[in-house]
Amino acid sequence: MSDYLVKELMVPLSEYATVPKGSTLFDAILALEKAQEEFDHTKYKHRGVLILDKKRQVIGKLSQLDVLRALEPKDEESIDILNLNQFGFSSNFVHRLRMQRRMTAAPLKDLCSKASQLKVEDFMQTPSAGEFIDETATLEMAVMQLVHGPHLSLLVARGKEIIGILRMTDVFAAVFHTMKECEL
Amino acid sequence: MKELKKLLERIIQRININLRELDYDVSPFIRNLVPLNQMVKFYAFYGITPNHPLDLVFRHSSLAGSYFLGKIRVRNSILYKSDIRGDELKHQGDVFKYQNFEIPITRDEGIDIEDSFLIKTLVHNFSHDPETLEKFFIRDTLSTHYANIHGSPCDGCFLGPFATVDLTTMRDCVIGTFSYVQAGEVGHLNVGPGTVWVRSPDEFNFLYRYPLDKLSHYIDFIEGRPPQGFVMDFVEDRKEGFRRVFDVVHLEQSVSIPASASLDRYAVIKPKTSISENVLVAQRAYLQNAWLGQGANAQENCYIINSRLEGCNVTAHGAKIIEADMGKNIFVGFNSFLRGRARNRLTIGDESVVMPHTIIDIKNPLTIPPGHLVWGLITNPQELEANSIALKDLSKIDDVLIKGNLSFEGSGAAFVTAFRDRIHHILEANGAFFDGKKNKMPRRTRISPLTPSSHTPTVNSRVCIRPL
Repeated sequence: MSDYLVKELMVPLSEYATVPKGSTLFDAILALEKAQEEFDHTKYKHRGVLILDKKRQVIGKLSQLDVLRALEPKDEESIDILNLNQFGFSSNFVHRLRMQRRMTAAPLKDLCSKASQLKVEDFMQTPSAGEFIDETATLEMAVMQLVHGPHLSLLVARGKEIIGILRMTDVFAAVFHTMKECEL
Repeated sequence: MKELKKLLERIIQRININLRELDYDVSPFIRNLVPLNQMVKFYAFYGITPNHPLDLVFRHSSLAGSYFLGKIRVRNSILYKSDIRGDELKHQGDVFKYQNFEIPITRDEGIDIEDSFLIKTLVHNFSHDPETLEKFFIRDTLSTHYANIHGSPCDGCFLGPFATVDLTTMRDCVIGTFSYVQAGEVGHLNVGPGTVWVRSPDEFNFLYRYPLDKLSHYIDFIEGRPPQGFVMDFVEDRKEGFRRVFDVVHLEQSVSIPASASLDRYAVIKPKTSISENVLVAQRAYLQNAWLGQGANAQENCYIINSRLEGCNVTAHGAKIIEADMGKNIFVGFNSFLRGRARNRLTIGDESVVMPHTIIDIKNPLTIPPGHLVWGLITNPQELEANSIALKDLSKIDDVLIKGNLSFEGSGAAFVTAFRDRIHHILEANGAFFDGKKNKMPRRTRISPLTPSSHTPTVNSRVCIRPL
């Protein structure tokens, strides 16, 4: 058994980037920037934003990948490309088609300017059952849930309340520390 | 009528069970698509020839206005004005070649239709599935107006209007309106409307998708009403012509034909039509002011109007050619719709290939150069540029071709060769190369029709089957 408990490794919700439902992507990015500035600079930077409802309950997670995905052109052609696999086209073909279509789509700068119109709830990931972990759980349980999700972070619960976020990087640091202790 | 309603409900349920994974419900499409009282208005027909076994078994089915030929079983099904043509089925003793296998055919192949509803559908050719060579099955399937099931066993499928499935075994699939699929074997696929897909695994993959807003002008199908659109109107406007050839027993041949040509008794021939040597005109073909050069063939459900075909042309099932001048050795694929205008004609050069389900509809003259492949929707020279390629250029492609709405991957040379081989095979099988001694004669109605008063038992006659 590890000595570490989840509550010792998590980032408290108050220190993490959060935005209320209805915020724009740009609001989320500003919140992330602010949280990173205020967070302990010796630690690993935050990479996501939590979305809260009116009761400040976590209803979703917005990752950096979600933001990039939101800026991808969304037209019928993009959907068609997604469907090409079912017709037996190779992944190489799909990649080349995407490249070709991307070159003729609007420049990234134009797409970024739309970030202030896009709502976070349209791009956030709703947490699944395996993404919650109790604050008293051990490091072993956290590793198991991260690996089998797989997830980049877990929401830490105290009863029904989410009190923090357990990031993979913090779990990894704890595992690494444990490894070093074993060597000694 | 009560039994018919129960039968329809049973068919709907069985199809929906098969399509549950696709979350597809056929009932809004199927109900009222054909009023059931229509089913009692038409006889069915069974063709008799010396070349095909007299072998039809049907049970608990309605066959209204449908035509059957060859070895066929029908159970728990509704067939409305469909053509079930078993004239190309395999025979006992044949050998089917598949990859490195030579598979003996142990008994005559039959078409086996069960728990299905086929509306104005053409079923033709033979099973190309090496796992079911003696049984060309169609089970739990709904096929709507003017669809083609060509050499394609189907299980749990829905075919929209003017859809074609060609040389492909299908399980639990939806094939959308005016879509064409030739892919060997497919399962659990929902192919959207206006998709033209030809795939030979490890060789090539051709996929074109129509702009749906433009396709809907030609053919459109939404739940709760019959198919609509210009192509649908075109066909429906000409159905009176067929009433006469099916209703009249003693029908005088309206055009003289050479001895080596074959004109089916159930084709419609309007004035000013000319038929040359080795021409094949199949059942339900419609010719009007059509000039067919040597070796041309007009397959089932095709329409050739005010047009000239120079020779060795293949006009595949359901293709329509209007106000056009076609060179030699041109292939026009299934359900294509080619329309020039009286003073603004469409010209297609020799050796060209018009892909299945192509629509060319022009208001100004348009010429397709010889040796070209064309596909998709073409209404002007710009669209022709986007939707065509010289066959010699396509042959050089060995990786990827992305052109307009076309996605192509693989060997262009293999694609061209496959098409050329198939066209040659069709022409050969249909007697285009008959020289009086060598090669086959045109395939079908070499023998004149039998009337009920005739005593000759071995000719192309018909059996009337009373409705339920």
